[in-house]
Amino acid sequence: MPSFMLLLHRPLERRSMADPETVAKVTREYMDWADRTRAAGRLKGGSKLTDDAGRILRNQGGRVAATDGPFVESKEIVGGYFLISAGDYAEACRIASECPHMKYGSHIEVRQVEEL
Amino acid sequence: MTDAVPALEDLFRHEAGKICAWLVRLLGPGRLELIEDAVQDAFSAALAQWRFEGTPQRPAAWLAIAARNKALDRLRRETRLESLDPNDEAAAWRLGFANPQETGKPDDTLALMFVACHPALSDEEQTMLTLQAVCGFNARQIARAFLATPEAVTQRLVRAKRRLRDLKLTVEIPEGTELAGRLAGLLNAIYLLFTGGYTAAEGERLMAEERCAEALRLVTILCEHPGTATAETHALAALICLHHARTATRTGARGDIVLLAEQDRARWDATLLARGFGHLRQAMAATELTALHLEAGIAAVHASAPSFAQTDWRALVHYYEALVELKPTPVVKLNAAIARAYAEGPAAGLAQLEVLAGNTRLSRYAPYHAARGDLLLKLERRAEAGDALLQALECPLNGAERDYLMRKLRACSPSARQAHS
Repeated sequence: MPSFMLLLHRPLERRSMADPETVAKVTREYMDWADRTRAAGRLKGGSKLTDDAGRILRNQGGRVAATDGPFVESKEIVGGYFLISAGDYAEACRIASECPHMKYGSHIEVRQVEEL
Repeated sequence: MTDAVPALEDLFRHEAGKICAWLVRLLGPGRLELIEDAVQDAFSAALAQWRFEGTPQRPAAWLAIAARNKALDRLRRETRLESLDPNDEAAAWRLGFANPQETGKPDDTLALMFVACHPALSDEEQTMLTLQAVCGFNARQIARAFLATPEAVTQRLVRAKRRLRDLKLTVEIPEGTELAGRLAGLLNAIYLLFTGGYTAAEGERLMAEERCAEALRLVTILCEHPGTATAETHALAALICLHHARTATRTGARGDIVLLAEQDRARWDATLLARGFGHLRQAMAATELTALHLEAGIAAVHASAPSFAQTDWRALVHYYEALVELKPTPVVKLNAAIARAYAEGPAAGLAQLEVLAGNTRLSRYAPYHAARGDLLLKLERRAEAGDALLQALECPLNGAERDYLMRKLRACSPSARQAHS
């Protein structure tokens, strides 16, 4: 079954001052989705990425140049990812569309892992 | 969908006290602050990681391991600043090999209670620290129970823990005569935990129920340890069980107050009542009658009455008279007067209440004015009853109590109603 990477984009200024109860409630929703997806045999893994946006490396005339992320134009960074398996791209999108990140993040990028 | 799963905050709270007790045994009471910070670190890590990985197979063990590792991190960070003393080196060594399956041992909780209820702390600090370290409540929740700000609570707890650290305590359950002296502190803290929980402050019913449940858990631990299972401990356990058995019937469907007279006795928790009477029998082995015995006896009279009308009010008057001797507080005297009103009629009760008039503590205590209002109403003195109820409404109240008094006020004369609106 093909694998898909769900990249969870979120606004940079998200690190909100949300109270602990809200954080716990939102976390519970993500966990429920992860538990359901895992029970359905679809969730293969996932991780949070650190809150700092990291750096972007470019090859500039043979030299590596590093600039601070994220891309200035989008003001967004990827906050975490899930790796899922799904029958096809449409099913992957259906699974992703039920993820609470659709409510709490900005958007989810769904990418198929190329099987060689 | 998530009905069966406890809210994360509840899971964390239930595990916090157990993990804290386990780590205090390994690291010593002097490290209480570091341990609590490490437990918080573990919860933050859980929030970040579980969101992406879902619920771990054994959440409690996950949290215990995370807290142990965070505690080690924090100890190592300190080594970089100043080298650890040999005790801490040894503790860090033990920590590395500690088995997280060992959390939740009653003896660890008991030992931590003896730390939290150290006589170097005031009664209030002992209760606060018990709520925090043993029961896992956070500063925000404790602040609501004490009508204080979270910052003030945090400050007091930090100072209390510094004082404990300077005492260089070891973690152990005291023995012999020392145990007897220290046990009183524990019983007092559990009593305050329970009575503070029994009548909830403004809008905090849930917190109140949790506190009662914690008081029950802790007193049960005391009853099961041979050193602490005294007759007085059993009296406290009886008191808590017999009151707690009525919890479900004390509030109506809309959170309104249901008085003892109107409670559905068939819905009282039979298991808890049986446990309560069992503890009461063991409490009778006492050589001296304590206030807790009398309070448990009073709870037992109510619990064993088939109906409100068939309550043995004579026995209650007798118990309250004895209790006034041992514990002559205005609130006990108030209750003694109410018992007399039921035993001998409203006029006799009212006469006993009037003796308490002018007591500064009672003047801001709603139950005093509410009781006066009730007795005056029974004596058909409606205008005076209305005035008393209005005075009750001026006192600090929670929403359910306010609603009850407003309902009562409607039974009084129209003039009383207008005076209020």
